[in-house]
Amino acid sequence: MSGNGPSDAFEEINSEELLADLLSGGGTGQKAFARLVRITHNRFLGFIQRHLASPEECREVLQETYLAVHKGLPGFAGKSKLSTWVYSLAHHKICDRLADRDRRHQELTETHEGALTTEANQADRLAPVTAWDAAPDRVAARSAVETLIGKAIEALPPQARLVYQLRDVEDLSGEEAAVLMGITPENVRVQLHRARRQIVDWVQEKLSRVGTER
Amino acid sequence: MSGWFYKVAYPCEQAREFMYDYLDGQLPMFKQFRFQIHLNGCTECREYYLLYKKAAHAYEFRKENPPPSEFLEHTLDFLRKEGIVGDDDPATAPESNPVVQS
Ligand SMILES: [Zn+2]
Repeated sequence: MSGNGPSDAFEEINSEELLADLLSGGGTGQKAFARLVRITHNRFLGFIQRHLASPEECREVLQETYLAVHKGLPGFAGKSKLSTWVYSLAHHKICDRLADRDRRHQELTETHEGALTTEANQADRLAPVTAWDAAPDRVAARSAVETLIGKAIEALPPQARLVYQLRDVEDLSGEEAAVLMGITPENVRVQLHRARRQIVDWVQEKLSRVGTER
Repeated sequence: MSGWFYKVAYPCEQAREFMYDYLDGQLPMFKQFRFQIHLNGCTECREYYLLYKKAAHAYEFRKENPPPSEFLEHTLDFLRKEGIVGDDDPATAPESNPVVQS
């Protein structure tokens, strides 16, 4: 269902013209890359932010993603859309970062036996992502349900969270999400429905609690 | 007819399982019809469906919290130093997409 959301400039990164310019190298290639960054920066930053809490980490992972794009471009065979490919690179970089964190955590727990629990690590990994510029008035302006949905997303297990974010937040098609996750489109469908239902159940539970507290 | 009749004829759980396909326009016509009838008679499923639809359309409310423009410039500076991007004309560049804050 690509194009489910509002049409935007983001789709331009999938134009043949931009790809040709990117591959041409030299000054044209450099200009095209700057254009690619301007078009995609906020989108991919948002994607990364939803997995990593620290602004510094987000910045680094985004830079690493663009480096990987540049390195991989000559071999980009166009089997998927360019946007899907960049998403998959960003996703790999996020996973690398989380794996690094897990490894460091492992070393830490080995040093300080039992000092940190697996649950604590899990909570750290899934810590609520708050934008560094999330001004209180902006947050307050969101509807209560939207805010609750945001919280429900954070409470999803990693796989469900990924499929939901790719499909319903990033607005990727089922096929694109399937390519990125290495599963079938039917599997994406099943997992996405389950994730949406988990979100609805979570939100309803919170709403009913508010209702009974009144 | 009242809601309870349709709850007996068509359990809520089944209605909820059909929400994905209904929203996607993939539910066969006769099931669509029964789904709509169930929702007309069942307040719980109607509320559930509204939330389900809201969750499925999260891309509509991601237009918040764009990062500071310095952040983009910082990335471009980094890539300039790497020799990956050259000077471009920001005036002709498209607006970046907004960030989703979940
Ligand atoms: Zn019902």
